Amino acid sequence: MSLRSYISLKDVVFSRTGRRIFDGVTMDIPRGKITAIMGPSGTGKTTLLRLIGGQLQPDSGDITVNGQSVPKLRRKELYALREKMGMLFQSGALFTDLSVFENVAFPMRVHTKLPEDMIHDIVLMKLEAVGLRGARQLMPSELSGGMTRRVALARSIALDPELIMYDEPFTGQDPIAMGVLVKLISDLNSSMGLTSVLVSHDVQESLSICHYACIIADGKVIGAGTPAELQVHPSEQVQQFLQGHPDGPVPFHYPSSVATEDFGLAGGVS
Amino acid sequence: MTQRTSEITVGLFMLAGLAALLFLALQVSGLTPKSAESTYTVYADFNDTGGITPRGRVSMAGVTIGSIESINLNTETFQARVAMSIHGDVDNIPADSAAVIRTSGLLGEQYIDISIGGEMDSLEAGDTFYSTQSAMNIERLISNFASGK
Amino acid sequence: MIDRIASFGRSGLELVVSIGRAGRFLAGVLSGVPRPATGFPLLVKQLYSVGVLSLAIVVVSGLFIGMVLGLQGYTILSDFGSEAAIGQMIALTLVRELGPVVTALLFAGRAGSALTAEIGLMKATEQLSSLEMMGVDPLRRVIAPRLWAGFIAMPVLAIIFSMVGIWGGMLVGVDWLGVFEGSYWGNMQASVDFFDDVVNGVIKSIVFGFVCAWIAVYQGYDCVPTSAGISSATTKTVVYSSLAVLGLDFVLTAVMFGNF
Repeated sequence: MSLRSYISLKDVVFSRTGRRIFDGVTMDIPRGKITAIMGPSGTGKTTLLRLIGGQLQPDSGDITVNGQSVPKLRRKELYALREKMGMLFQSGALFTDLSVFENVAFPMRVHTKLPEDMIHDIVLMKLEAVGLRGARQLMPSELSGGMTRRVALARSIALDPELIMYDEPFTGQDPIAMGVLVKLISDLNSSMGLTSVLVSHDVQESLSICHYACIIADGKVIGAGTPAELQVHPSEQVQQFLQGHPDGPVPFHYPSSVATEDFGLAGGVS
Repeated sequence: MTQRTSEITVGLFMLAGLAALLFLALQVSGLTPKSAESTYTVYADFNDTGGITPRGRVSMAGVTIGSIESINLNTETFQARVAMSIHGDVDNIPADSAAVIRTSGLLGEQYIDISIGGEMDSLEAGDTFYSTQSAMNIERLISNFASGK
Repeated sequence: MIDRIASFGRSGLELVVSIGRAGRFLAGVLSGVPRPATGFPLLVKQLYSVGVLSLAIVVVSGLFIGMVLGLQGYTILSDFGSEAAIGQMIALTLVRELGPVVTALLFAGRAGSALTAEIGLMKATEQLSSLEMMGVDPLRRVIAPRLWAGFIAMPVLAIIFSMVGIWGGMLVGVDWLGVFEGSYWGNMQASVDFFDDVVNGVIKSIVFGFVCAWIAVYQGYDCVPTSAGISSATTKTVVYSSLAVLGLDFVLTAVMFGNF
């Protein structure tokens, strides 16, 4: 497994502001495949991506990316590793003071010494790949949500990374934009041989493109496998998540005191 | 706003700052560019220096001819020894001239005025004024007047 | 009672922690050696938005403050018959105190709050995170040029403020109230010393520029990335910068001019 896995997490424990977000997460993300990490909102899926990217340090456990242990890397090595990673943020995170063209050109200008005409060609190629070559002179404020994400995607593949992480790529998109993104993600994976990590709670879209999926809840991995394996997973929690039942092992109610007390109906109303 | 135009405006901004600093130096603080001009130092002993300060004015007939370098107490004579640097082109101050501490206006700044003597010899660098007149002390003047002396 | 002592101690600890964080942040920003090829265009861009765009407000305020000083100084000094000293009074007030201090206060309101809001918004929209994930250190790429720009722009603005103020004072004193131009400049030149007054004023404004820019970028970088968090960070920038400037001004004045 370790030869085939690009990223592996071992017993990762992470807590923030006293709350334990991950309590011993172990998973392997295979090279060259699309892996979906799913789970209810608030289970720290984005946090997981930040741990992989080295923006956060785990309390204990180890995270290796391409054989390098991320928490042990020194600053310089970490920055070098990140050049091989692309990340698509939920909001797109385009630089608002730069045009679409400059946004996509940015990683190349910072990390390479390519001549201007070459940068120009590569940027247009990347924009062509997401279907936005004609939008290169626009400013990010003039783009729709779906276009913003596509530009951000073009930017994150500008340096031809080995790994690309998608943070909730489908949230808040109309069906057409969502379809475009689904197609782009699977095309990029097959044409460039990227390892893709997809964090999402859109079960159907994610399962339709991923080769492998992991479901996280309550700080633990509760189910992992191919989409077909997950559909017949024995765990009730996995089934509740996949089917979207409102109540089940994951309770509908946020933990609270007994309702009768809150409503002032506690035994013996005077 | 292209990079070029912003570079130009920033350049103009920095130049404006430099020009303003030059203005403050030359016009406001009266710093003369030829500050490396040659000067020579002469000394004078005063009983009371009143309110003169280092870098104060030394003048002759109302024209500034130098500045006060330092003021120290001579612990043997208990007089104040004032060093003055005089512009090099004023090299013929008669040797029997007197250094007088005066006040510009009634409440103005105090400065050293040199009242010219009549001797043919001139003061050389390092010489000391033969006679001095200390600061006029209004308080002492009034108390002298009141006690009728 | 115990609760009150405990909360007092806690807020004291929090103050120490936040000062420590701000210091570590500063070390992170300044530790990198800026590469001239990439750093210079970024610095120029920030100098434009921090310096050039603050020029208008600084010039207008300087002019009015100089004119007010001229009027007030004339009415007070003419009681003693020494209205000729108006030039000296205006120049010393501006060069030593009002130039650096008022410019710093204007700077905190005009440029500091904008810096905080900009960086806070970049944080909220994950632009800073995305830089980090691209292998670019946002402290060096985003924060450092802004800090240096504030540091460089402030003395320039303060010098321009003083110059415009002195000119405004001359408009009122000489052209309107009839003080002789010769005595306006003459008195000024006799009493203002370049090194004691002008250079000390410039040193003050350099210190203020550094502190204002530091507070502004730190508040932006450290803010809670929500709209409420950004607005409170912006407010904090203006309040803390103003307090820091006034407090430091006292300390610097005592050190520079207090040797009586």
